[in-house]
Amino acid sequence: MLFIPPYVPEAFLTMYLPAIYAGLIVGFIATMAIAMKRQEIHILILTDLVGLAMIFVVSAVGTDLAEALILPGLVVELAETLAISEILITREMRIIEQDPRRNLSKSSSIFPQPFSLNMEIMTTAPNFIALVLIGYGIFLTGFTGGAVAGGGIVLYALSKKARGLPVLMLDGIAGVSGISWCLWIIGFLLFFVAPQYWLLSLFLAACGLLLKVASKVGLIGLLMREDIDKE
Amino acid sequence: MRIGVLWNKLADPKNIPRLFAFSLGIILIVGLIVPMALNPDQLYPRPAPQVQVDEGLAIAPYDRGGEVLSQPGIIKPQYPDNAEALGMITGYMSPPAQWISSISPYFGTSIYSSPGGLIDEILYYTRGFDTILESSILMMSFIIASWLSINYTMNRKNDEKEIKADVKKAINESTQVANEVKVNDLKARSKQLRRDN
Amino acid sequence: MDFVTLGGNLLGTIPLGDIVLYVTPFNLFLFAVLLGFTLLIALSKPETQVEATMHNLNNTEVKVGPKEFKQRRFLSIICGIASAGAMITGDLFNFTLFMALVGILNIGIVSAVKQTTVLNSAFNYGLIAMMCSLPLFGGAAIILAATGTLSLAVLSQMPASPMVVFGAVLMLIGILGESGVAPFFASKAEMFRTAGSPFIVIIHLSSLFIIVRAVEILLLVLW
Repeated sequence: MLFIPPYVPEAFLTMYLPAIYAGLIVGFIATMAIAMKRQEIHILILTDLVGLAMIFVVSAVGTDLAEALILPGLVVELAETLAISEILITREMRIIEQDPRRNLSKSSSIFPQPFSLNMEIMTTAPNFIALVLIGYGIFLTGFTGGAVAGGGIVLYALSKKARGLPVLMLDGIAGVSGISWCLWIIGFLLFFVAPQYWLLSLFLAACGLLLKVASKVGLIGLLMREDIDKE
Repeated sequence: MRIGVLWNKLADPKNIPRLFAFSLGIILIVGLIVPMALNPDQLYPRPAPQVQVDEGLAIAPYDRGGEVLSQPGIIKPQYPDNAEALGMITGYMSPPAQWISSISPYFGTSIYSSPGGLIDEILYYTRGFDTILESSILMMSFIIASWLSINYTMNRKNDEKEIKADVKKAINESTQVANEVKVNDLKARSKQLRRDN
Repeated sequence: MDFVTLGGNLLGTIPLGDIVLYVTPFNLFLFAVLLGFTLLIALSKPETQVEATMHNLNNTEVKVGPKEFKQRRFLSIICGIASAGAMITGDLFNFTLFMALVGILNIGIVSAVKQTTVLNSAFNYGLIAMMCSLPLFGGAAIILAATGTLSLAVLSQMPASPMVVFGAVLMLIGILGESGVAPFFASKAEMFRTAGSPFIVIIHLSSLFIIVRAVEILLLVLW
């Protein structure tokens, strides 16, 4: 039985050109759209398309290494969207704060405004769905597991009725996340200092990442909760 | 157009992302005429698509050999000398994953992302430093976003009207709850009295 | 080109699996300078700007609040450490990740200010940083596809094919955008126009050092 071939199989070699050309063309379309658009919020959304092109180009290599490299790219794209959209909202709010009677600028086309979210699923199902997602996330562990479990926590936090930002709780959960991150760094160092304990290091890394990512994503849910129902 | 006008346009931060996108797009389209081919001698190669599925392996597309805790899996890293316990993680499966792989051949991808397996070996061990940087990027952007939302965009200490409305609502609700508790209390007490008599 | 021709004798390596950090006198110097500067930042206090008021004979102070100061100092220290790490890394993909980290930290350092012009340029720089993930990671992936390796030690021994040159050009435009070199300078230059000097300076310094290091890496890959 052949587990890994010594060289890249023919299938990937023939797929490389179509895959990378698709990536280049998607990137070209996205960048040209950005160059032509004037509204900032549209540009922000279109940059996601550029990230998609990046995933095309990386995954075209078609080895296990490429599969591992997609994850950093994906996470970087996601993280930057999170930070930059928050900066955009801050900027618009500061502008409004300085001069509330000014007309809205044409180019930004964004007006930070709370919205109300009223869906049946948020009253009937959150507990069950959150439990299933968290259980599956714990089985998966690592980044994927953290994302899945975090999705469950987001749903649970979103459907809570109480309002008000629990800063103390936020700080606490962020602390848990930071400590689990440190666990993982210890695991990573153990891999090289004491290779015979690789199993311990593996579990430190997997569970540390699970806790870290899940709590972070859950916190995003808590923050989003603040924007809903603010009539 | 005079060059001064051009420089003035370049000094406006608003035009810069669009200029950057334009030049990036030009370079991308130039890539279509560059001769490109995948070098067959790659690190961490994988078998052709569907081969392992056709062979009917339990953790189908991701079986890289090795036995749990005894035999290392087969991988091809850049510097095999730098990693002493090489391949052990590739061969490892957690007990629940082992059980799932014994009952069904359709959960290869789920088992693959549970502890053990080649992707964990790459992400945590041989290229673990990449993953550390990646998660620090996530952490930093989370710090930026949450700092802004806690201290500015979602700071409700400033809008007093809303707080007043909320407090009123809370008082109403709590008096309602108190009334209900009182009524229930009375009922329970009368019941108790009747039973005692 | 070899390590030895560019940076002097190889003093040692720090092997972390596939990612091998290496130290030559050139890299060691850059690394030490950045760490020293980071230490200075950790100990210093932010400056206060004095602005003339419009229509009035008065001055206003632009100060950095204590909360803002704490967050800014933390992000600047991480930024210094990250750019110091980028100086000694020996892996192409690792280097691009360091660049992405420095980019997001640069935005973070100015994110807490009140001036809308600074926030505006930070947002525009952030858009560029997001777009840069395509040329940086994509360029590294194209070089990986062409040569089959990401290690700089191996790449420096290989001849450059047209595909490697294309990957390197992609990476170059990513580096230009991410570190804010002309003609993409405006968005990043405007970010400095606020109070809190030593923390603002690390934005400048990190992109300066990273572009020096990027030139070295491109020479290693192409020659």
